[in-house]
Amino acid sequence: MGRHFGDLAKIRHVITYSISPFEQRAFPNYFSKGIPNVWRRFKSSVFKVAPPMILMYLTYTWGNHVHEQGKRKNPADYEKDQ
Amino acid sequence: SGVWNFGSLLGLCLITQILTGVFLGMDYTSDISTGFSSVTHIWRDVNYGWLIRNLHGNGASFFFICIYMDIGRGLYYGSYLYKETWNIGVVLLLLVMMTAFVGYVVPWGQMSFWGGTVITNLLSGVPYMGDTLVQWIWGGFSVDNGTLTRFFGFHFLLAFVIGGGTVVHLLFLHETGSNNPGGVNSDGDKISFHPYFSYKDLLGFVIMLLGLTSLGVFSPNLVGDPENFTPGNPLVTPPHIQPEWYFLFGYGILRSIPNKVGGVLGLVFSILVLMVVAILHTSKQRGLTFRPVTQFLFWTLIGDMIILTWIGGMPVEHPYIIIGQIGSVLYFGLFLVLVPLGGWVEN
Repeated sequence: MGRHFGDLAKIRHVITYSISPFEQRAFPNYFSKGIPNVWRRFKSSVFKVAPPMILMYLTYTWGNHVHEQGKRKNPADYEKDQ
Repeated sequence: SGVWNFGSLLGLCLITQILTGVFLGMDYTSDISTGFSSVTHIWRDVNYGWLIRNLHGNGASFFFICIYMDIGRGLYYGSYLYKETWNIGVVLLLLVMMTAFVGYVVPWGQMSFWGGTVITNLLSGVPYMGDTLVQWIWGGFSVDNGTLTRFFGFHFLLAFVIGGGTVVHLLFLHETGSNNPGGVNSDGDKISFHPYFSYKDLLGFVIMLLGLTSLGVFSPNLVGDPENFTPGNPLVTPPHIQPEWYFLFGYGILRSIPNKVGGVLGLVFSILVLMVVAILHTSKQRGLTFRPVTQFLFWTLIGDMIILTWIGGMPVEHPYIIIGQIGSVLYFGLFLVLVPLGGWVEN
């Protein structure tokens, strides 16, 4: 059932190189490159994620505000009261 | 990436729910005269009964968090193009929803009784046989003892039906292997399950169990309804009948349509629309990774579902009515029109 190792794909003309884990640092440039990379990833997605979320929040606050206003008494209804 | 963890997390959720559920079933009695008090007995007297009940109730919430995330991953990365796996997944979603619905009736609190009454009454919208169908489901002329006993049985049974469906879901998934964030063929780039995915899944399990336990011990009633601390009473209707949070978006769509049958159809199609996404896939790319227009529409869908969830929990008054109606139109519009259009534009 399903695919098996040895029968997955034939790939030709691709050369891969690797270096031993004992010859390299485990987390190279974790902060020096990592933090600018987080900023890059944030910039590339913020204008697609944020606008709908902001619209959602504004709808929520507007809706609750209008509902609260609707529950208030209208002073015009009581103008002729003595 | 991490969003591929939700499949295995769903398996963990199912096992957790079955284990805690079996232990709850040892002390629960499915009769209206003793049901509510048997839950109280479990909480107060059974050794660690409070924890088992806690994990079971909040575990249901985590089940839905995981299933919505799994669906979101499927929509974002075009995993639905594995049509058999996807469609069985939709069936699993429906089964989980049914299990959660009947399971919520089991404690026989006010919201158990009245939520059960509202939703089972919707079946009366079926032409000709609607009323007969409802009374057949009820086992009587209203939600009563007959309903509770069978709903407990359905809840127990459906859990294992979900288990069987899960096996079939995985059977089809393993024919193709998983998708990936690039949406490309990865047959030439496989790594062994152990140790890579065994440890990755284990990390996911630890994080989810941490979340579930934290919710359970620090804020166990955060997502619950206080009405369910009152025994179910057919003579007293709660002012605001609403389901648990995971059903609120559908409840919002249901109430937005001012016609009983129309509302029921809206609710049903809000789930079944998932089965047409593969047919409406217009883009030359599989996932949204390199598709900015449709990415924006995806996040609009997420925002819309959050709005519909909020609306589903609000009273049917202005301006919540119009917001719910616009949100419902937007929900179906996104799936049926805007996202296919986005794919075509990006091509």
